[in-house]
Amino acid sequence: MGDDVLRCDRLRRTFGARVAVDDVSFRLAPGEVYGLLGPNGAGKTTTIKMVCGLLDPDGGTVTIGGRPARDDLSVRRMVGYVPQDVALYPDLTATENLAFLGRLYHLRGRELAARIDEALELTDLASRGGDRVDSFSGGMKRRLNIAAGLLHHPALLVLDEPTVGVDPQSRHAILERVDSFGRTGMSVLYTTHYMEEAERVCDRVGIIDHGRLIAEGTRRELVAELGQKDRIELAADGDLETLAAACRRTGGVERASVADGTVQLVAADGRRTLPAVIEAAEHAGVPVRSVDVTEPDLEAVFLHLTGTALRE
Amino acid sequence: MTVLAIARASLTRLVRDRTALFFLVVLPVLVIVLVGATVRGFSTWKVGVVDEGAGAAGQRLVAALDRSPDLAVDHYPTVRAMSTAIARGELNTGVVLPARMDEAERGGSRTSVGLVFEQANSSMQAAATAVAAVVRAEGVRVQAAQFATAQAGGTFATNLSQAARLEGRLPRAQVRTVAAQASSSILPEGFSYAAPTELVLFVFLSAVAGGAATVETRRLGIYERIVAAPVRPRDVIAGETLNYLVIALGQSLLIVAVGALAFGVSWGDPIAAALLLVCWSLVGAGAGMLAGTLFKTPEQASGIGPVVGITLGMLGGCMWPLAMVSPVMRQVGHATPQAWAVDAWTALLARGGTLATVLPDLAVLAGFAAVFLLLATHRLRHVLAG
Repeated sequence: MGDDVLRCDRLRRTFGARVAVDDVSFRLAPGEVYGLLGPNGAGKTTTIKMVCGLLDPDGGTVTIGGRPARDDLSVRRMVGYVPQDVALYPDLTATENLAFLGRLYHLRGRELAARIDEALELTDLASRGGDRVDSFSGGMKRRLNIAAGLLHHPALLVLDEPTVGVDPQSRHAILERVDSFGRTGMSVLYTTHYMEEAERVCDRVGIIDHGRLIAEGTRRELVAELGQKDRIELAADGDLETLAAACRRTGGVERASVADGTVQLVAADGRRTLPAVIEAAEHAGVPVRSVDVTEPDLEAVFLHLTGTALRE
Repeated sequence: MTVLAIARASLTRLVRDRTALFFLVVLPVLVIVLVGATVRGFSTWKVGVVDEGAGAAGQRLVAALDRSPDLAVDHYPTVRAMSTAIARGELNTGVVLPARMDEAERGGSRTSVGLVFEQANSSMQAAATAVAAVVRAEGVRVQAAQFATAQAGGTFATNLSQAARLEGRLPRAQVRTVAAQASSSILPEGFSYAAPTELVLFVFLSAVAGGAATVETRRLGIYERIVAAPVRPRDVIAGETLNYLVIALGQSLLIVAVGALAFGVSWGDPIAAALLLVCWSLVGAGAGMLAGTLFKTPEQASGIGPVVGITLGMLGGCMWPLAMVSPVMRQVGHATPQAWAVDAWTALLARGGTLATVLPDLAVLAGFAAVFLLLATHRLRHVLAG
């Protein structure tokens, strides 16, 4: 515990009457990639902003490298913050942007130049250093956004939804990089609302909803909480809410929710429950077009814990 | 060092922005040239000449009028045509050269040159005075030649040439005009009026419109990224202030240099002028930063900013002298920093003002700068706190 790179203890933050983050605690070990998984508005970004010193918590503490983060500027040198939006000057070149941000971390001269080259190399942008950022594709901007967070070799890299709005190829490249950061000993705090990303790159995942951390553990641990349950995805023509309601009344179905134009179910035994689900759909007047029964995953865990699908 | 890094990034962006550079550099110089040329036009009097058969004497007088740097001569066929031009305002005054003027001069008799202008028009009076001075000088030479011809013999033409030569050797009396009342409403002329008023107008206007860069930095989330680094909010504020101050001072120095080198503007007491530039640049820096924290979009800043700048410039005497407006509007004008800056420049350029003369204006400008900077700092702190 004493070696934790990051410790958040009972973090709480409100905006007026709205509680954005409520009693959130978690920790990151060196080299660990920790994912905060939750839908939009769950409190992920607010948590990250408190970790990076951009927001003061109303309650609780953030400790980085064993030192309280609040009001200690030197602690911020340990953190590389990559915001959700591309926070770079579009009219400066990639190198100029990195040089500007590097100087904020007191990097100078040859050391700064070497770090810029290294960061560009790491993000596959070495050949584009002299180009203006507004000439970059969305994926390249995202990668440069990450490069800016790596310049000063932080002990903790904080990535706030780094793949939002990115094409599949760039997303793949970003996830590969994040995966490799952990292996170099850098800890990564990674927020996403994409279950597949959390499953792919995170050593441990914290599931956050309505400002509360409702579950935490490795993928295996979280899925084990479900027991022998399956996730069923139904595609149907007609009112999906009616179908979801009909499924909830069906024996064996524990949770039902509409997401991404499908009805998502968590059932004790998918294959046994399926005939009753199909029959209930027929009775509800919403015939099922296709069915997909999958092994338990984080999506099923989230549905099981919250009663709603992750992307609802 | 982080302060310099923040200022440097903003200045690098400015150098890349061709539109901003046009408004910062090219436009002020263009406007100074245009306004300066227009205002200087009032001190070059347009003189019409009607020659009714004056002969060589008339040609000599026209040549003397032509040589005068304050007069531009144009010829008219009749007195009626010239009078019409004067009534239309195309001429400031007219000269009628009488028939047989040359014969009268050679014969030693008197002759009269007619002057046509409107008595009630002060600029026409001034033009007529300038013409009369040229006529009088020519008359002195003619009288001397007539006297020499009558008393010592020789031809009139030879004696006239001799009179002109001797005139060049005589010591000249120098006339110096001193403003007896320093607070008078004497205004600088030509470029000496245009350059300082455009400096006041454009430095402020550019700073407020330049707030767009701060709005963009805010909207891009770059301030958030800066604050996540080991940077104190006061360093961010200092960096931004330095950026705006460098831009305002740079633009001011450019206008001063162009005014002095290209248009011969004398900027008065150097210490007072330097302090005035610094005070005005601080006013601009504060206003620019404040605009950057108040406007929501860069488009708002670059669209509304110039309107604010021009309106305050109009009220503050950058477009026309406040001496021309009603006392109420003059008082309203002095609610703007522009009026105090224009007053100070007027005192330095037109009335030989010193640091002591403009000290009250500098104090007021420093007050404006302090208020703008404090408000901007407060707003920026709020922005940085998320």
